[in-house]
Amino acid sequence: MGKRITVPFGSQHVALPEPVRFVFQTENERIVDVEVDVGYVHRGIEKACSTRFKYMQVGYVVARVCGLCAISHTLGYVTAIERLMEVEVPKRALYLRVLVSELDRIHSHLLAMGHTAEVAGYENLFMQTFRYRESVMELLELITGNRVQFDYVCPGGVNRDMTTELEKEIRKKLKELEEKCLWLKDVFENDFSLNLRWKGVGVVTKEMAKEMNVVGPPARAAGLETDVRAEFNYLPFEEVGFKLITRRGGDIYDRNLVRAEEVINSIEMVKNVLDGLPEGEIKVPVKGLPEGETFVRVEAPRGELFYYIKGTKKMVLDRVRIRVPTFANIPVMKKLFIGMDYSDVPATVISFDPCLSCTAR
Amino acid sequence: MRVEEVKVPLREVRRTIKEFYDPNVWHFITVNGTDLGGKVELKWFFCKYGEKETFKVVTAEAGYDDEIPTITYLIPSAWIAEWELADLFDLKVEGAKKGLFLDPDSPKAPLRRG
Repeated sequence: MGKRITVPFGSQHVALPEPVRFVFQTENERIVDVEVDVGYVHRGIEKACSTRFKYMQVGYVVARVCGLCAISHTLGYVTAIERLMEVEVPKRALYLRVLVSELDRIHSHLLAMGHTAEVAGYENLFMQTFRYRESVMELLELITGNRVQFDYVCPGGVNRDMTTELEKEIRKKLKELEEKCLWLKDVFENDFSLNLRWKGVGVVTKEMAKEMNVVGPPARAAGLETDVRAEFNYLPFEEVGFKLITRRGGDIYDRNLVRAEEVINSIEMVKNVLDGLPEGEIKVPVKGLPEGETFVRVEAPRGELFYYIKGTKKMVLDRVRIRVPTFANIPVMKKLFIGMDYSDVPATVISFDPCLSCTAR
Repeated sequence: MRVEEVKVPLREVRRTIKEFYDPNVWHFITVNGTDLGGKVELKWFFCKYGEKETFKVVTAEAGYDDEIPTITYLIPSAWIAEWELADLFDLKVEGAKKGLFLDPDSPKAPLRRG
């Protein structure tokens, strides 16, 4: 047995610019124990949503939980409010929500893929991935008015409509993006160095995924067939060609390939939304006060996002509970580290695409 | 949405979950607390893999001083949600450490009312 050494990872680390801290106990290079701290920036958003803000304002507050998956948070909350108050959202608005939600997934997945390339030392692939991501950010700005934290979804519908010029621009950019993403998928799948670096590293088995209730791309990469888009009717994903993508390896390599394939599927869905976009209103008024409780699940880019709300016919809700995907995946990450070489930690952490902004909401 | 809600006394929570929970069938989402004033309503949420909107919710009430039984014997990943309850509601959860979500100088039990 080697000498035991304590190695901290974060709260500031070159591989992960997020305030999470793992403290590893290692014997030689092997990890034998780990502690985690996620509470550096607890912002009290749940408290604020049930004390300071009216229920019609909360959608704009929860969008600030996370810049990257802002639409998922608003969607989760707004869907819960609409279910509780029995609001029928126009079909056009639902389709537009799918469009922005899938564009959001594309840019988030490209970000995660780029970061894993970076920690593998593949700087030019990292930069290329981010360059392609930029075209999605531009599209989101055109559609919603902002690159991140766009307040596109609102109770009863969406805040902006689609125009013919905009549709033409999206189609043009999507065509270019699809070619680029197919090339990226090819690189992530077939590059010799990346294969060597990622295959068999950070493996989550299907059994482990079930036992630890893993969510999102890490679960699907392990072969667990779970995707909220297939399990919860919050948007018409099946009408626009959603496919449940799984792989079997459960390693970093497969987690990236699940994301790469989901990006291709999301591009397909966005095209189908544009082809079949229904005519009509984009918003209906929401009147009254929320009474009772409900909960919804939404598939954010990182996995299952859960919202629980409770109201007692007042302007301010009694409880808004947000369970984010990274929160759900931290237990399996912790378990995975035991027995792992320290040198594999940065790539493994990044391959889960953790978001501490969400976790410490 | 199909929701089967089971209301049980706090001491029965673990036994109730043990009776139905199979990791091949059920996905544990989280445990949520809502302050009712003097006590907290706790809900453990589960959904069925591969089925549309099928949920099971186990509900119990706990006084501020009650010890909440851990379910990590059955669901190892539940520790993080339990530790969060301990921090944000200042509840005694079996085996939970405080300080994961809040710093020592943070306000205590921010999600308690009053």
